[in-house]
Amino acid sequence: MNRPTFGYAVAALAAAASFAVPLMLDRSQLTIFILLGTAVIVTTGLSLLMGYAGQVSLGQGSFYAVGAYTAGLMAVHGLPTLLGLAAAPVLAAALAALVGVPLLRLRGHYLAFATLAVQLILLSLVGQFEFTGGDIGLRGIPQLGVGDATLIDPLAYAYVTLAAAALVLLVTRNLIKSRPGRGLRALASTEVAAESAGVPVGRYKLAVFSLSAAYAGLAGGIYAFYLGYISPGSFPVLLSVQFVVMAVVGGLGTVWGPVVGATLITLLVQALNSLGTMPGMPAYAPDVLSYAVYALLLILVLLFMPRGLLPSIGSRLEDRRAISPTRS
Amino acid sequence: MLQTDRISRSFGGVFAVRDVSLSIAEGELRGIIGPNGAGKSTLFNLITGHLRPDHGGLTYRGRRIDRASPHHRASLGISIVFQGARLFRGMTVLENVMVGAHTWTRHGFWSGALRLPRYWREEHRIRDRAKAAVDRVGLAPWAGRYAESLPLGHQRRLQIARALCAQPKLLLLDEPASGLRAEERQQVARVVRQLHREGLTMMLVEHDVGFVTGLADRVTVLDLGEVIADGTPEEIREDERVIAAYLGEGAADA
Ligand SMILES: Nc1ncnc2c1ncn2[C@@H]1O[C@H](COP(=O)(O)OP(=O)(O)OP(=O)(O)O)[C@@H](O)[C@H]1O
Ligand SMILES: [Mg+2]
Repeated sequence: MNRPTFGYAVAALAAAASFAVPLMLDRSQLTIFILLGTAVIVTTGLSLLMGYAGQVSLGQGSFYAVGAYTAGLMAVHGLPTLLGLAAAPVLAAALAALVGVPLLRLRGHYLAFATLAVQLILLSLVGQFEFTGGDIGLRGIPQLGVGDATLIDPLAYAYVTLAAAALVLLVTRNLIKSRPGRGLRALASTEVAAESAGVPVGRYKLAVFSLSAAYAGLAGGIYAFYLGYISPGSFPVLLSVQFVVMAVVGGLGTVWGPVVGATLITLLVQALNSLGTMPGMPAYAPDVLSYAVYALLLILVLLFMPRGLLPSIGSRLEDRRAISPTRS
Repeated sequence: MLQTDRISRSFGGVFAVRDVSLSIAEGELRGIIGPNGAGKSTLFNLITGHLRPDHGGLTYRGRRIDRASPHHRASLGISIVFQGARLFRGMTVLENVMVGAHTWTRHGFWSGALRLPRYWREEHRIRDRAKAAVDRVGLAPWAGRYAESLPLGHQRRLQIARALCAQPKLLLLDEPASGLRAEERQQVARVVRQLHREGLTMMLVEHDVGFVTGLADRVTVLDLGEVIADGTPEEIREDERVIAAYLGEGAADA
């Protein structure tokens, strides 16, 4: 089987599985499925930003929060919920475009810390303002719906999330194989050479930062409608770290890596949570366990599979197949 | 085609390029030679816009381009092959070359992500032109390989293909043949000679004086940021200042 056919087969299999799986889940498992879906959406954006365009963000949780608050606030004030869901990515992207102008002049660690700072500032602002519900948060966010028909069933949310994730994956795959996508991948290696090849480096960096924020905003919107309650505590810095771990573990610079990484980490965190909350465990056990596992996983992957799970496994499979001098 | 008007640039008080005035005619192949640190790469960076001059200006095809960004200058037709290999890693040879097509295509994030008609119209043309450029430098068998996996000589030719895919009007070549084996140098020389015959305006920096004088119409000699000589290859070979500053003792009889 050659490479594209193999890819399509895997994609078809994954799609079929993700459509079938929700039907077999109970209510609390569906919640995990939906959270997993939103994580895939955010991580796909982060992988585009970090893996393809080479720009680090440790503050992806802030755009997730902006999306959630945008959707939540609009819905609470009686605006159509679908409008809120559409506005969530737009506002998240707008914020990214705004802070991106000064931020994207920075590189590497500096950019990482600056994006982290954005999230800390945003969280403390949200905690201060009255209209956002302060530290207590926003309660009673209506269910997603059109007119009188509302989505109450978690199963329906599972499919909304699935559709959003599919859309985001498709957009990402298309983008990286187009003129702007090649420009992004080029500037990740050398901005100087990319500029000389005609790539408007500054504009592209801002655009990809905004796009990754839009993904996070969309995921945040779904999250707000599904849970019906959000507060600054829903978007801790650990969440942003988690997205980075998912992206790195799955494999940066791949389309499917984020899916693998998000699935693995989400399931692992759930397993640890149930372990940590078993009778006889101390109250701090779940937190300690999940921090420890992020750290351990990150170290192991970076040591043994520095390119992430998917690319490493992929190249191992490829090595086993007939070795040909050219691959086109 | 290109005039530099007493252009200067210093780093920490030391001039890397000082009061350089050049005039490159349409279709000319201008050689630039000079010892290490003479300011050749700095001059190129001033032309591509990666560095701003302290004073002086640039006129390109009759217009001032002092304020244009590097990518804007690229779309005006100024392309460069950098000293050393500056490749786009994780991309195939063909994809590397396709990046060069940015200068004459327009479609952006929306068209690319949503595969709008504009994407389809341009994508095919980009691919065709890139393939032609890859062919031209003899890298067709390598088109599907990752750029970073190529040997150095091939990487240089890849850079030339990328620059050609941008459809340049002025091509700057910064030591495109240094560090290559004789046979690879011949290959690079052949491509440059053919481009010259087709009327492309070029500026060529090389340490190997023989390589430059064999190709160029005129040669400019830089030393410590200043032009110390300017003339036909024959004149340059005989210029005493050049021999003293650059060619050294033995080179005169070589
Ligand atoms: N970015 C920079 N910062 C500080 N000094 C620089 C910078 N770029 C160049 N220089 C200095 O300017 C002078 C000219 O450098 P340049 O690279 O233009 O020389 P060159 O003629 O290309 O040399 P080579 O033949 O070694 O490539 C050198 O003394 C160099 O150290
Ligand atoms: Mg140089």
